[in-house]
Amino acid sequence: MSTQATPGKYGFLIDVTHCIDCRACNVACSVENNVSMDSTRIWMNGTGVVGEFPELSSSTAPFHCMHCNDPSCVSACTVGALTRDHDGIVQYDDDRCIGCRYCIYACPFQVPNMDLDEKMPLIVKCDMCGDRLQEGEQPACAATCPPGAIQFGRREDMLAKAHQLITDHPDKFIQHVYGEHENGGTSTFYVSPVPFEELGFPMTSSTSSAYLNRLVTHGTPAVFGAAAISLSGIYLTIKNVKEESAEEARIAAQTAVVQAAEGAAAETAAIEAEESTSEEA
Amino acid sequence: MTNFTVSRRDFLKMSGATVGALVVGQMLPISLAKAAQEAGLLDENMTGHISTMCEMCVWRCGLIAKIVEGKVVKLDGNPDHPHSRGKLCPRGQSGLMNTYDPDRVLTPLIRVGKRGEGKFRPASWDEALDLVASKMQGIKEKYGPEAMVFSSTHNLSQVQFENLLNAYGSPNYGTQRSLCFNAMIVGNLMTYGMEEPARDYSDAEYIILTGRNLMEAVSTSETGDLTMAMDRGAKMVYLDPRFTKTAAKADLWLPIKPGTDLAFHLALLHVIIKEKLYDRAFVNANTVGFEQLETTVAPYTPDWAAGITELKATDIETVARDFAAAGSKALAHNGWRTSNFENSFQTARAIASLNALVGNWGTTMLPASGGHGGEGLGMPPQPPYPRASARRLDGVPWKYPLVPFKLGVFQELRDAMLTGDPYQAHGWFISRQNPVQSLPDRTRTLEAMGKMDFIVSVDIFLNDTSWFADVVLPESSYLERYDPLSQVGNRVFIRQPVIEPQGDAKSALWIYKHLGERLGLGDYFQYEDEEDFLRQQLEPTGVSLEEIRKKGYLDLAAPEHGEEPDIFHFNTASGKVELFSNVLDGAGFDGCADWEEPPMPENGRFYLLTGKVAQHTQFATQNNQLLNKYQDEPRLWINTKSAEKLLLKDFDLVRVTSDVGQINIMVNVTEAIRPDCVYMTPGFGHISKGFTTGYGVGASDSVLHVTYTDPISGGQALTQTFVTVQGI
Repeated sequence: MSTQATPGKYGFLIDVTHCIDCRACNVACSVENNVSMDSTRIWMNGTGVVGEFPELSSSTAPFHCMHCNDPSCVSACTVGALTRDHDGIVQYDDDRCIGCRYCIYACPFQVPNMDLDEKMPLIVKCDMCGDRLQEGEQPACAATCPPGAIQFGRREDMLAKAHQLITDHPDKFIQHVYGEHENGGTSTFYVSPVPFEELGFPMTSSTSSAYLNRLVTHGTPAVFGAAAISLSGIYLTIKNVKEESAEEARIAAQTAVVQAAEGAAAETAAIEAEESTSEEA
Repeated sequence: MTNFTVSRRDFLKMSGATVGALVVGQMLPISLAKAAQEAGLLDENMTGHISTMCEMCVWRCGLIAKIVEGKVVKLDGNPDHPHSRGKLCPRGQSGLMNTYDPDRVLTPLIRVGKRGEGKFRPASWDEALDLVASKMQGIKEKYGPEAMVFSSTHNLSQVQFENLLNAYGSPNYGTQRSLCFNAMIVGNLMTYGMEEPARDYSDAEYIILTGRNLMEAVSTSETGDLTMAMDRGAKMVYLDPRFTKTAAKADLWLPIKPGTDLAFHLALLHVIIKEKLYDRAFVNANTVGFEQLETTVAPYTPDWAAGITELKATDIETVARDFAAAGSKALAHNGWRTSNFENSFQTARAIASLNALVGNWGTTMLPASGGHGGEGLGMPPQPPYPRASARRLDGVPWKYPLVPFKLGVFQELRDAMLTGDPYQAHGWFISRQNPVQSLPDRTRTLEAMGKMDFIVSVDIFLNDTSWFADVVLPESSYLERYDPLSQVGNRVFIRQPVIEPQGDAKSALWIYKHLGERLGLGDYFQYEDEEDFLRQQLEPTGVSLEEIRKKGYLDLAAPEHGEEPDIFHFNTASGKVELFSNVLDGAGFDGCADWEEPPMPENGRFYLLTGKVAQHTQFATQNNQLLNKYQDEPRLWINTKSAEKLLLKDFDLVRVTSDVGQINIMVNVTEAIRPDCVYMTPGFGHISKGFTTGYGVGASDSVLHVTYTDPISGGQALTQTFVTVQGI
């Protein structure tokens, strides 16, 4: 199966040196996208206050869907609720979603989240404010950012600008454009004065886990029903384990993702074995 | 007569749901819908964009409201407005949640229980206004108009509020200014002859922010300007006992000891004068009193200041030299302080003098542009006001000779209402203000309210002050009403309704007019309705209301005489920048900025710091569900080492005690504060149960604050309150 790793049309450039943690982006997103009071499409990552008084530093950055070139969530979604559109925007269709949460575990950036108090929790994630794009407006977060930390434009321009910034100001930025190669490349680029691990950004492989996921989700159309049943089992297990608050769920999800990444190969091998068995049958 | 289709009960049922759910269900009644359509603002589906102005703080950004089927669904910054430039801060973004808050008061309320029980019955406007008018008239006849106190906070309708109180004839007027920036304003008046010179960051190369936490106390355009200046390479020095978001961006953060901003700036003046680093040409041509300043600051060496501020003398020297080296491109922010003490007036004077020495006038500091009243705008005709003969209860000018009338000394006014000295007030008219939370020493404020025969409050919520009122008059929100036009420079902006008022809420322009008429003061309110008021304002400009409604602003013609005003003529007695002020000297105060020793905490007590966060404005926004969603939990910051000594862990509950009050609050154990300070975000700890979201969240700083007034500026010395912290 071929990869889908063509770069998208649009991109974000987020300059961590400019972010003031005011959260105008968070509020603007919640209003624009009618997000429930109990979940969010965008949140703040940060270093916290580092050091000992008075030698202190602190950096923050908003975080939302990276819009990967080859999104792990799309490949993990068994029902086509998550798709990557022709502009490279990762879209979510709640009519198709069955609440399996595979995308949550597949995403190396821990982006999709849901309100666990809901009986039928739906996924909450950024879609680049598609309605605004159609009206020629910037996404709500970028449009409102008071210090101009979030920029939005053509992906290639944003990437070029990111490189320009770190090249022109080696004293100000570490020499790493986060999002350029992470998970095989994305449409969201960060430049930062501190290493991204310190900001709490997930450290991912430079290749997308989507290929492995596709082996599972696209390679088993004949046994879709069986897969759905096994997924339901997993869903119920997860549901029992994870009836915590949304915040705790996020932390738990981080752990799960690390484990998932480690265990992905083994799991895939196991399912492939099952697949060949059923084909024989 | 009601014209709403969704009752408050319906809104309550929807609370906790999504924003969208709150937005749903409110249809535009035909009047506004038709007008908006006729003005070309909305299409036949009641969908479109309407330009108006934000009111989530006093910065007044221009915004564009997106209306879908008669509901406001999104607010964006107006790119044409100099304060927003297309952007809005989190508060601005959350504004529609204030309007659609299920806790809105949507009908006049008359108290039926005891004060503070929160028991009210709904009433018609006729009944409520008749009652208010008869009470106000009764107080006037029995005790004179001075027995009625009026108070309101900075807003666009304030001109009509002041019209009401002046027409009624009371001299007693409380604004929030003495709680905020009297020291800065009087300091600037005494130095520059203007309240607050404007700052221009476009050429700034070296910026000193004394507690001006621009990255959290966001003023959208100024925060953006600072960011751009630093991007260009401008250096920023930030003084604050706390490591704030601004400290995190600073080139140099100086964790100065509270109360000692003055010593720091006196030492800067000392170095710049001693080493002759000042702009001699500017000083000679445009200032008076340099010699007196030189003599005054001679003893204030960096070593002296280091001992007081607990900063390094070398840092102070470096800042002084670098600041002076930037010359006219240096800027010492003239609008703030790291802590508010009785010596804050001297700090404001020292900062003003510092700017004058480097000759930055016309480069980084400029005359303030435009007024609020609108020089090029008209006003409805009205007779002269009656003369208020009684002395003002706040001591202006008989006790505070240098405090401008329009600023006043609110905390002293409150104390006079309590003590009855020099005479007893009997009524209190409060509009868009929450003095129960904003004034220091909440217990005293509640006691003063107890002395009032009658209290009326105008607000969109049942805030903590309305909670104790006898009559609550529901105002329409800023997205539902017209306010008088606002002028910024040569540009006039409009606040106009983008949706019809919910319930029976009415605009301030409507409320004051209809109350005025009942008080026999109709001649002071010669306008038919809000639109007529604005039309009369627009009359001299030749622009129609429809035109400005559509565009959101209008540009006034430049003055005809064509001559640029001389920006180097100052409105002081000497016409120059006054480093030495004869006015101050004549009133028995220091003529130059001079050292005043601040009080210090003893016996293990802490300085109590307060300050702003980007998600809230003072006491007014804690009930906003969107801001509540993204705010930090309001906890008491305490330094790690201090917490260790008190055996406190993060999130422990503590009792905080000052000389006047006590609160319980959770601690945030952090390195980001000096060990001798604790900090709390003001505005929490609401006592009104009318705030479903905000009630019971955090604790109130006003319970703890002790009342101290600076004798020169009348400013409340907010940080002169010291507290003990004890685990419970």
